[in-house]
Amino acid sequence: METYQIYNLTSAVLFVIGIGGVFAARHFIRKIIATIIMGGGVFLSFVSFAERDALTFADPVPHALVITGIVVAVASAAFALALARRIYQLTGEESFTNDK
Amino acid sequence: MSVLIDGLLAILAIYLALQSLLAPRLIKSVFLFFAFGLALALAWVRLGAVDVAITEAAIASGFLGVLFLDALRDFSPAFPAKQKNPEAAHNVLVKNNTKSLLLSRIPLGLGLGLFLLIALEAVWKTPEGGGLTAAAEAFLPESGVEHPVTAVLLNFRAYDTWLEIGVILMGLLAIFAVGGIKVYRKPNMAAQDPMLRQVIMFFTPVLFLFGAFLLYFGKTGPGGAFQAAVLWGAIGILLHLGGKSIIEEIPRWLRQLILTVGILFFLVLGFLFVAGGNALFEYPRAYAGLLILIIETLAAISIAAALTAIFANLNQMKEDPNETESIN
Repeated sequence: METYQIYNLTSAVLFVIGIGGVFAARHFIRKIIATIIMGGGVFLSFVSFAERDALTFADPVPHALVITGIVVAVASAAFALALARRIYQLTGEESFTNDK
Repeated sequence: MSVLIDGLLAILAIYLALQSLLAPRLIKSVFLFFAFGLALALAWVRLGAVDVAITEAAIASGFLGVLFLDALRDFSPAFPAKQKNPEAAHNVLVKNNTKSLLLSRIPLGLGLGLFLLIALEAVWKTPEGGGLTAAAEAFLPESGVEHPVTAVLLNFRAYDTWLEIGVILMGLLAIFAVGGIKVYRKPNMAAQDPMLRQVIMFFTPVLFLFGAFLLYFGKTGPGGAFQAAVLWGAIGILLHLGGKSIIEEIPRWLRQLILTVGILFFLVLGFLFVAGGNALFEYPRAYAGLLILIIETLAAISIAAALTAIFANLNQMKEDPNETESIN
């Protein structure tokens, strides 16, 4: 089994864990963490394919895309966190409840 | 041997991801998330993506983890728990209706299992495309830098990087918009806390130097604008926590200039090239290396300022200025 295949399979598992977390986690912070884990899975599959296509060096285009993607994911997570804190300030709720 | 290391690392990453979602206490969740980011960074190194590893460890694990830790001050550490806000007490309704919970969990579990099989098959059977390695290798001498990832980020796909700086700026503006008008409090803990003061005085020059090194080293090896920006942003966060927030010390126009200088310089440069008859971001070959270094420096300054401002802004989000902080 090649290195990239191990991480390929890991990426699929991480993505599924993340998507499960987005549905099943209740607290806002957990939901945001789950989206970051989903993103981690996607990035892992990108970089493992870059390793597969390596010649003298690994394919730099997926690497650059992943670096861009990580920064964008962090920016959106920071925004989500600001929204979550604002919701908590205004309503005192730490999760989405369906009781209204 | 390498299969063993990779397999263990993969199991570790999956375990940490699961645990960070399942941990009973929120603070444990956040610390496991830190660990997950670092495990993922090790995986990038195993895959030969050192640039991605530095970015992951610095921004996705470090910076985001700090934001989560800061957010924990707002939320109660154990969830579900008592509400601090008395007027919102009637909203607390976490019914443990096990039957309906079970009913919703079974389809979710089945769906996720099916999805896992589909995802595993998809990544396993992805056809060999060959990638763009050969193209990047052929044009590397013309890019003005020696490191292929920096060449892609700042030359071949400079458009992406430009818009990415814009995305960070947009994120900052959105956070400003959500947070409402805030009274900036000055923690000024450095005066009372000798430990914090020593840490700030020791780490500020070290972080600055290391950031500058990463920025310059990006030309020939792993490193570059984003990695440097996070280190410089860490200086801003340290100073902010020590009560000397750069964001508030400098005048407003200078703050706005620093935040936008990266994206503006990129924009003006791009349109100058267009006016000269070239494509957007088609650098003249003789100056490509120098131009890339200038762009990276300005972009790093802008991103560092934006990250500091994001932290400072989220850090000010308190429900009541009179309330004592639970975790600090």
